[in-house]
Amino acid sequence: MVSRRYILRIGGGLLAGLLLPRLPLAAEAVEIRMQGNADGSHVWFDPVGLRVETGQTIRWINLDPGNSHTATAYHPKNFERPLRIPGGAEPWDSDYLLPNETFSITLAVEGVYDFYCVPHEHAGMVGRIIVGQPGRFPAADLSVQATGGEPIPEIALRAFPSVDEIMRQGVVRPA
Amino acid sequence: MRIVVATLAIAAAFAMPALAADQVEKAPPTGAYKKVSDLVKLPDFLPGLGQLYVDPKTLPAGPFLAYNRDGRLVSTVYMLPVEDLTNKDKRFDDLAAPGGKVNHVDVYFNAGHPGVEKPHAHVVLWHVPRADETRVAAK
Ligand SMILES: [Cu+2]
Repeated sequence: MVSRRYILRIGGGLLAGLLLPRLPLAAEAVEIRMQGNADGSHVWFDPVGLRVETGQTIRWINLDPGNSHTATAYHPKNFERPLRIPGGAEPWDSDYLLPNETFSITLAVEGVYDFYCVPHEHAGMVGRIIVGQPGRFPAADLSVQATGGEPIPEIALRAFPSVDEIMRQGVVRPA
Repeated sequence: MRIVVATLAIAAAFAMPALAADQVEKAPPTGAYKKVSDLVKLPDFLPGLGQLYVDPKTLPAGPFLAYNRDGRLVSTVYMLPVEDLTNKDKRFDDLAAPGGKVNHVDVYFNAGHPGVEKPHAHVVLWHVPRADETRVAAK
């Protein structure tokens, strides 16, 4: 009887490890890969949606041998784009990363962060990071157009994973 | 003797435009062409295309001149934004074509890159046979 209970406990632990999204430790940087196919007809961030704890470092790396990419926060300070990161959070712009170049930031403010790739926003190359716990940010519908600056193209708006999906899965890979 | 001189003069006259035109066979081409990787932040050698040169005044359409790793011209590329191709009031006329004989043509979609930031079509006039396209393939 004792042994059965022991096995159940172990089993439960294993199941939890498999089913729950694994939130990376803040110490190690979480990687978002910038990728493209051979003829440049398709480009993407992988993962496209990510949930992390406050203080997590994110590192973008360009793994596309044939193109340059950026990771740029939607923020008025970046080309007067609409604000789509938490108020009070620092905007970032990696500038163009050549193949194998990286760019890192640490996210200290809870909330939803939307970012895009400057030369590929019109190809739908965008991503979303959620920092912190569910319920701590307003349930605003971020898929709708924010005000200010050059509007976000429809193809990019459609590419953001929903907040629900990111909270559920922890990591959302591109379709 | 007079006939020989006259013939030479005519030959010289015909040769002049060729001499005045840009040399494009070998990289770097002469004239207003600039290396694309010096103009914008892009890898120097693009898998599938090669090393690109363009006259910045002709952006985005080009022509872009594409060279293989031996510095030989392999293709002439035009980059035509999709939004322009679907605009009834927009035309691309009299695009230069300095690369000479065309073996075959590829047309395909590109999501964009520094220099031509919006989705566009690549129209590639290959000056070499299909088999030689591998010379600009990824390593
Ligand atoms: Cu990109």
